[in-house]
Amino acid sequence: MTLLRKPVILAYWLVAAVLFFGTMGIVFFWTPEESTMGVIQKIFYFHLPVAINTFLACATVFAAAIGYLLTRDAWWDDLAAASAKIAVLLATGTLLTGMLWAHGAWGVWWTWSPRLTFSFMLWLLYVVYLLVRSSIDSPQRRAVVSAVYGLVAFLDVPLVYLSARLLPDIHPGNIALAPEMKLTLAACFVPITLVAFGLMLTQFEVYRRNRAIARQHESEEQTHAFPLKLKVSAA
Amino acid sequence: MSTMLSQVAVLVEKDLRIEGRTRQTLGIVLVLGILITSVLGLGLSSQPQLAALGAPAILWVAYLFSGVLCFEKTMAVERQEGALAGLLLAPIDRSVIFAAKLFTNLLLMLGTAAVITAVGLLFFNFSLAAAPLGFVLVIAISMLGFAALGTLLSALASSTRLQGGFLAMLLFPLILPLVIASTVQINAMFRPGATGADTGGLAILGAFDLIFLVTSWIVFELVLEP
Amino acid sequence: MTRAFTISDVHQLPAERRTETRAAAGALHLKAEQLCKVIDERAILRDVSLEIFRGDFVALLGANGAGKSTLFRILSTLNSATSGTLELLGLRAGTNAAAIRAKIGLVSHQSMLYGDLTALENLTFFGRLYGVKEPAKRAAELLATLGLKQRANDRVKSFSRGMAQRVAIARALVHDPELLLADEPFAGLDAPSAAVLEKLLTDLNAAGKTILLANHDIAQSLRLARRAVILFRGRKIADVRSEDITPGEALLHMEGAAA
Repeated sequence: MTLLRKPVILAYWLVAAVLFFGTMGIVFFWTPEESTMGVIQKIFYFHLPVAINTFLACATVFAAAIGYLLTRDAWWDDLAAASAKIAVLLATGTLLTGMLWAHGAWGVWWTWSPRLTFSFMLWLLYVVYLLVRSSIDSPQRRAVVSAVYGLVAFLDVPLVYLSARLLPDIHPGNIALAPEMKLTLAACFVPITLVAFGLMLTQFEVYRRNRAIARQHESEEQTHAFPLKLKVSAA
Repeated sequence: MSTMLSQVAVLVEKDLRIEGRTRQTLGIVLVLGILITSVLGLGLSSQPQLAALGAPAILWVAYLFSGVLCFEKTMAVERQEGALAGLLLAPIDRSVIFAAKLFTNLLLMLGTAAVITAVGLLFFNFSLAAAPLGFVLVIAISMLGFAALGTLLSALASSTRLQGGFLAMLLFPLILPLVIASTVQINAMFRPGATGADTGGLAILGAFDLIFLVTSWIVFELVLEP
Repeated sequence: MTRAFTISDVHQLPAERRTETRAAAGALHLKAEQLCKVIDERAILRDVSLEIFRGDFVALLGANGAGKSTLFRILSTLNSATSGTLELLGLRAGTNAAAIRAKIGLVSHQSMLYGDLTALENLTFFGRLYGVKEPAKRAAELLATLGLKQRANDRVKSFSRGMAQRVAIARALVHDPELLLADEPFAGLDAPSAAVLEKLLTDLNAAGKTILLANHDIAQSLRLARRAVILFRGRKIADVRSEDITPGEALLHMEGAAA
């Protein structure tokens, strides 16, 4: 099975890499610069797709959490763990690019604006998810606890969004996007989503493999310990 | 339905009786809350205006930490000697156990919040005159959501036998929207030139309460492990 | 009416040693079929099947880690099995949980009591939960039966282990259950309390209660119970009449050695 899949995986990453560098080229050499902000604005083409993918990853954790709670199948737990790891990675990316943007647009590295606050709180929610997982040793307990937390965390997200919007915004108002910019943005979505999805699948495979190995060890131990025939002595 | 209500009453009565006998939970929780308020008050003592402005946020810090302690302790009572298993063996619905624990936590937290707030108002020279009922309403609604989420998560945390800070780690990120909405709300009510309660914040608080009451109710059963 | 109980197919014994257990006439109180429990990828229970009739007194024997406690938790409906079916008092576990719980009692090594409440308060509380009429009165009666009348108004945390265990048993009996599950109730008990407990179990069984007792003391178990079921590494490997097995043989079974 691995033999068949290796070329597919290789092709996948090759395509992703090509698209990624391709769109980078487009961003820096083709797309016009935005008048007020300059080059820094270009981080937006990276920031928005990463942010959307973060949300997708969090939604996957939510779906996996529900899946686990309903079926108690470890497959869902592995999916949740993998998605959460990628979610944190992406959320860190969102946060950092957001901060770069803030520095470029307003000269400060941090402000409690709705967008930055939301990014931060989302990041915090899923970092805690990972911490919860690493705190619990028993696989079954860990799965249940993280499933409940994963469920509750995602339900919290709209509330986080709404409450962040209550905070004062430094410069409200959207930047108008020229048609070339919109095209570039759309183009950037593809490689970033491919990379995010690919990373998640890779991590998921690792977890599945580890679990299969653990299960094998367990069954080996049991068969060696329990011989099928016991000796019978005469009464 | 009335059996369920009476069962909840029996459970709450048991919790309050234990609480009244030991005064353990309420005592420590109140002391912690007052301590936090005092430390922050002392820290800002040279800037009284800042203290007055920051009062809602400072109060929430005190509520949060004493709340976590309160929820941990009310759940710990069930874990000693496996009393929770005794409850699970009884022919009562799991949701009854949740409702009773929620009610106990809510009662204790409302009492705690009242004391901490009184102390805070004193230390920070913060007057409720502008909107006393509004303040009470906001805090009461907030406490409901806080207690609902806190009850669910404390049951979750106690099932892992992990100590120190685990519940805080679980609860704090989730409760931030509630805290933000609540403080923004209170500031809107008490800032000089305030126009009164801003319904946006109240709606968020209401949504928070609803979402987490329902979710906790449903999920609680999955969390209980004897 | 006689009934043959099969010994697990893993453990083959000569035909003359196949034992029979007389079923008490009447209802099947507990019927477990192929119960399996997997926790963290480890199979704790494998295909455990068990039938217990009304009035039976069955001892469950097994070494540490054999799966006795897990089995008890499943039989008392505290946990559910990974696979297999369970019927208690004619009702399917899983769908009729509350109805089943009203008729069974569990004693385990944890007392399941609130240390800060008095013995009387604890029993009254649990009585109320079970819908017992006049719970306070029943609580007082139970405490008197168990020789704890003097300490009824003392907090349970001040009790010795033996006394706390007696209150725990009272808790398990407050609703007059038909089936009593006792998971190592003698653990840590001093001789007088153990004697009280032995007499209590015998009397309860004589009065018609069905008892399943997990116990470390093999001789004591074979003496009290009429039937012995032995678990080894999560499997049932023997189900015999107590009179048909000696403590030594039972021990060998428990250790997985030849019988």
